[in-house]
Amino acid sequence: MLGALTAEAVAKRNNVTVLGRADGPVMLFAHGYGCDQDMWRRLVPYFAADYRVVLFDHVGAGHSDLDAYDREKYGTLDGYATDVLEICAALDLADVILVGHSVSAMIALIAAAREPERFARLILVAPSPRYTNDADDGYVGGFSHEDIEGLLKSLDSNYFAWAEALAPMAMGNPDSPEYAEELRSSFCRTNPSIARHFARVTFLSDSRSILDRVQCDSLILQCSDDLLAPPEVGTYVHQHLGHSTLVHLQATGHCPHVSAPEATAGAILQYIGPRP
Amino acid sequence: MTDTAGRPVVNFEALFHQAPCGYLVTDDGGRIAAVNDTFVRWTGYSRTTLLGTKLQFLMPVGDQILYATHCIPQLGITGSVSEIAVDIVGADHIRRPALLSASRFAAAGQESGSIRVIIFSAHERRLYETELVSALRAAEESDAKRALAEQELRRLALHDALTGLPNRAGLKARFGAAPHGGTRERKSLAALFIDLDHFKAVNDSLGHSAGDNLLVSVAGRLAAAVQASGAVARLSGDEFVVVDEVAGTDDATALAASLLDVMAAPMHLEGLEIVISASIGIAVAQGGGDTVEDLIRRADIAVYRAKERGRNRWELHRPAPSDPAVDRLRALGELRRGIGEGALRVHYQPRIDLRTGRASGVEALVRWQHPARGLLPPSEFIAMAEESGLVRPLGAWVLDETLKLAESLRRNDHGAGLEFAVNLSARQLNDPGLVDMVEGALERRSMDPALLLLEITETALMSDPGAAVESLNALKNLGVGLAVDDFGTGYSSLTYLKKFPVNELKIDRSFIMGLGLDTGDGAIVGSCIDLAHAVGIRAVAEGVETSGQAQALQDMGCDLAQGYLFARPLPVPQLREWLASHA
Repeated sequence: MLGALTAEAVAKRNNVTVLGRADGPVMLFAHGYGCDQDMWRRLVPYFAADYRVVLFDHVGAGHSDLDAYDREKYGTLDGYATDVLEICAALDLADVILVGHSVSAMIALIAAAREPERFARLILVAPSPRYTNDADDGYVGGFSHEDIEGLLKSLDSNYFAWAEALAPMAMGNPDSPEYAEELRSSFCRTNPSIARHFARVTFLSDSRSILDRVQCDSLILQCSDDLLAPPEVGTYVHQHLGHSTLVHLQATGHCPHVSAPEATAGAILQYIGPRP
Repeated sequence: MTDTAGRPVVNFEALFHQAPCGYLVTDDGGRIAAVNDTFVRWTGYSRTTLLGTKLQFLMPVGDQILYATHCIPQLGITGSVSEIAVDIVGADHIRRPALLSASRFAAAGQESGSIRVIIFSAHERRLYETELVSALRAAEESDAKRALAEQELRRLALHDALTGLPNRAGLKARFGAAPHGGTRERKSLAALFIDLDHFKAVNDSLGHSAGDNLLVSVAGRLAAAVQASGAVARLSGDEFVVVDEVAGTDDATALAASLLDVMAAPMHLEGLEIVISASIGIAVAQGGGDTVEDLIRRADIAVYRAKERGRNRWELHRPAPSDPAVDRLRALGELRRGIGEGALRVHYQPRIDLRTGRASGVEALVRWQHPARGLLPPSEFIAMAEESGLVRPLGAWVLDETLKLAESLRRNDHGAGLEFAVNLSARQLNDPGLVDMVEGALERRSMDPALLLLEITETALMSDPGAAVESLNALKNLGVGLAVDDFGTGYSSLTYLKKFPVNELKIDRSFIMGLGLDTGDGAIVGSCIDLAHAVGIRAVAEGVETSGQAQALQDMGCDLAQGYLFARPLPVPQLREWLASHA
C-alpha cells in the first residue's frame, strides 16, 4: 500500500535529499544508469532558488540502503517506479515536476501512468524506451544483444574498481579543487553485483507499451551525438507519447545536465513557464 | 644541465612521446587533439587517423555504454576518473585490455576545455581479475541454485502434494524423533489416526478426481479444527493423523469426538451431497517413552479396532502390560547366539550402471537366519546390535566377508573392477577403532580402497555432524568411497551435507516407489539427482522395481540403480551365476 512507509524509512532507503525553496513547487530528480544523485550537481543551482528540489538514489546506487535491494522487486523498472511513488507519498509531494534521465525517464513514465494525479509535468532527459533493436517489428534502439553482453563484461572488468574496499584512489585534478576528495572517490560508486543486475534490467527492458498510457504533459530533451538515445529514438518517443514536446538541445553526449547544464536548465525553465 | 632556477632541464616533448604509457589530450567532447608516440605505436593507427576521432570510438560498444553513463558524468562533475577498465581496439581489430585515468580541465578565458588522458596496457591484471570475477560469479550462482534446490526439496520432501499438509516426514520434522512424555505443563502428546470410512466406494463410484477433492476438503476441515499447537498430516490415501498436546486421555478422546462431528457435516462433490464418516484411533504418550512414530503406530492399531467395532467412532490404544527390559534381553541373547553359531550371512545386491546397463558393483546386506522368525533383514536387528555394542564385531565381520568375496571374484573376469558397498551404522561411525579396522581389512584382502564404498545413513550423519566429518575425512584418506544412504528421509541440512566428503547420494526407496504415480516423488527424485550432480557426485536409486521407474531414472540422468527389477540381494553362489550371465 502506497503511503504506508514513513518519510524516514523512505529517506533512508533512497537517501533522499531535499534542497531549495521549501514552499516552492516540487522538482523531483531521478538519476539514470551508472550514476547517482551527484550527477545533478551542475543542474540543481538553476532551480534551487525557486523550487523545492528533491534528489534521491535508486536502491543499489549511491548511498541508498543496499540491504533494501531485492532482486525480484528490482527485476523490472516497475519496482523502481514504486519507489518513486513511495517517495512522493511519504514526503506528501503534489504537482510534482519529475525529471528523469535515461532509464529513469521510463521509470518516470511508469510512475505517471500509475498515479497521474501526482505529477504536473515530466521532463524526460535522453529517454529511450528500448535500447536493443527489435528484429520482429524493425524497431531500432541502437544496440544488439551482443552489445549489452559486452556491457556486462565491461562491468565485470571494473568489478574490483567498483567494490568499495578495492577502489583506486583518484589522484585529483588541480583544475577543479572545489570538490572534496571524498566526492571524487565515492562518485557514483555502486555495488558491482547490483550494477550488473540493474544493467540487465535497464538495457534489456522494453517500455514502449507505456508511452500511450501516459496523459501527463512531458518534455523530451534530445541531445546530439548521444550513443544511448539517438535522434530516431527521441522522435519515436515523441510520436507515441501524447502531450509531449520534443526539444533538441545544444549539447552532445548522453548527460546534457552535466556537459551543458545551462542549456538544459534553460530548456526546462522555458517549458515549465514563468517562475513562480 | 639546469635552468636558471637550478632545476634540471627536462625534454618535455620526449617525456610526452616516449612515456611508458599512452598520453592523449581530447577536447571537452572527447575528440583526440594530441596523442603520444607510445599510444600510436601500441594501437597501430596512424596519428592522422587518431586526431579528431572520439576516444570512446576506440572502445567496444559495451565499454562505450559504461563510458557514456558512468565516466563522462564523473569527469564532468568531479573532474577526474581513475583506473577505468576498458578495451582499446587497435588497427588490427584486436582488443587491448587497458586502464584509463583522466582529468578534465574546464574552459578558461581563451582556452577551451580539455581532457588529459593516460591509458596503459593491463593485460595480465585483466586476465587475473576476470578469472577472479568469473569464479565469484560461478560461486554465487551455484550457491543460489543450491539454496533454491534445497528449499524446494525440503518442501517437497516434507509435504503431501495433493493436500499441502505435512506428510509423515514433515510430522517427524515438526515434532522431532525424541520421546515425548507428560512433563511440560503436565501435557502429553497424543496422536489421532484418522481413517475415512468407505473412501474406496467414493473413489470407485465418483472417480479419482472426486476422491481427490474429498481428501482436500477433509484436509481443510481437519486443519481448521486443530489448534495452533497441533498438526495435521496426511500419511497416505485416506489416512490422516492429528498430533497435539493434551491434558490427558479425556482431552484426547474429546478431540476425537469433535473431529468426528466436523467430518460428519455434509460436503458437495460433483453436484452431489455426500456425508462421510471416519474411524479414529487414539494414542497418548505414556510416562516419557513414546516418540511421535511410536504414537502413530499405536494409534494405527487402535483405528483397526474402531473399524472392527462398526466405524464412525474412536478407540483408545492402551499398551499391553509387558516388560520391555525382559523382551530386549531375550532378543539380544538370540542375536549373540546367532552371530556365534553362524546364523548371520551376507547377501549381495547388484548395482547397475544405468548408462551401460551393466553391473558396476554390489551392495553387501547382512541377514539373520532366525530359528523361529525366518530370514530377517537388518532393520529387524541392527538397532539392537547398535545398542548392545554387538554391531562392532558384526560390522567387522560383514566387511571382511565382503572383501573376501571381492578377492575371490577378482580372480575371474566378471569380478574385475566391481565396486563393493558395505553399510556402516551410526555407532560404528563414532567408534574410534573404525579407521584401523577398515585399513586392516583392506590390507588383509589386498583390496584396492577405491573399490570399497562405505554407506552411512543420512540420519547417522546428522546425529553428530561434527564428529561424522572427522570420521569421514579419516576414511576418505584411506582412499575408500563414501555414500549417503537413505537420502531424503533425514531432512538434513544440505548445506551441512556439502561438508561431508561423500562420493555418492543414495536416494531413498520410498521416493523411487512413487515414481510415475504423480505423487510429487518424481520431483523429489529429480531434485536429488540434480543436487548430487551439482556437487559433483553420483546419484544412486535404491528399490527400483519396475522398468517404468528405471526408464524415468535414466531420463533424469541417474547414474546407478539397484532393486528387484535387476536382482534381489543374492547369496554368493547365485551372485556368481548372475554376474556370469550378465557379463
